[in-house]
Amino acid sequence: MITVVSTCKYRLSEEEFVRPIVDIVKREGYECEIINYRNFKPKGNGIVICGTAIKDLDYMNYLEGFEALKDFCGKVLGICAGFNIIAKIFSNEIVENKKIGIYEFKVIEDNPLIKKGNWKAYFLQKFSLKNINDNLECLALHKDEVCMFKVKGRDFYCVSFYPEVLNGEIIVNFLRQIS
Amino acid sequence: MNVCVLYSGGKDSNLALLKAFDEMNVSCLVSLKPRSEESVLFHYPNIDLVYLQAKALNLPLIVERCEDDEYSSLKALKSALEIAKEKYGIEGVVSGAIKSVYQATRFQRICDELNLWCFNPLWLRDEISILREIVEKDFDVIFTRVAGLSRDFLGRKIDIEIVDELEKIKNYVNPAGEGGEFETFVLNMPLFKKRIKILESKIIGNYFDATLIIERAELV
Repeated sequence: MITVVSTCKYRLSEEEFVRPIVDIVKREGYECEIINYRNFKPKGNGIVICGTAIKDLDYMNYLEGFEALKDFCGKVLGICAGFNIIAKIFSNEIVENKKIGIYEFKVIEDNPLIKKGNWKAYFLQKFSLKNINDNLECLALHKDEVCMFKVKGRDFYCVSFYPEVLNGEIIVNFLRQIS
Repeated sequence: MNVCVLYSGGKDSNLALLKAFDEMNVSCLVSLKPRSEESVLFHYPNIDLVYLQAKALNLPLIVERCEDDEYSSLKALKSALEIAKEKYGIEGVVSGAIKSVYQATRFQRICDELNLWCFNPLWLRDEISILREIVEKDFDVIFTRVAGLSRDFLGRKIDIEIVDELEKIKNYVNPAGEGGEFETFVLNMPLFKKRIKILESKIIGNYFDATLIIERAELV
């Protein structure tokens, strides 16, 4: 069972940021449960933390609830807001840096979600991550910004862009790792 | 939250409006009137009839004219949203964008410049599911332009038989029409207080690239 976490303050945004992920999860044959960021509790074999509207920062007021992820043994995929949440709970600083549209990025480390090389992705982000601490491993860069990382020693992967738009294989490959 | 809906009068903007209505206070509609069907961003056929649709919805309508190019289209959109912000206090914009990253990126950027929330409730939806939803929700939608489909579709109501037909050819024709294969016009939907009756219309163009022009219509 996959837990899909909404970070959206408004239900109308969930149609844009959560429903496309749920569609992929179901298409891949997994059952899923959608939970809201206000009452997050890790459960299931895998968790996908979705993004939200660029103006939506309410989830930042609920980071404490996500600390429980540190004890979670399953696999996690963080998308945009999910990227910010996981970067922050592992003590990294994100800085304001808006990016809207398609940009190129480079995968620099082998990983099970996407091959090394240059790719394009759809970004809709308010923050970026420039420096990472020892808890994280940089997997891909857009210019000097980390746009994909892994939490060391865990199967927690995060992307700052929206893979469901142009890089669906990232989500599919993540799901296929879950037994 | 007060929001405006980017409204072309077609099926997608009407479905986006219906979804927004459940959660937000829809304060007004915003329509852009491009010079021709060559517009890079906006729906063209029968755009003058959005006045009648706005009346059927009992919602204020802001219309801005623009040229067909991107610069003029975006400038007009920004100006219309500034008016909506000032006149109706909108804090967010709802669009019916489905798969066009080009369109979504530009809407998102303008909303960001104007400090407005941007909602795209149909984003990445499966096109056939959208058609099925409008049929299930009793929308009365007709084809008003075809480019690649035969002109026999013009004026036909989208019903379950047509959805099945489009599903069979979905590998060749985008069933949402977002690639310009077809455009639609909504005569009635659950939020309309009255429906639109076409009194006079004509078809122009050739067999695989044609437009239904609604010359006269009324609310009944």
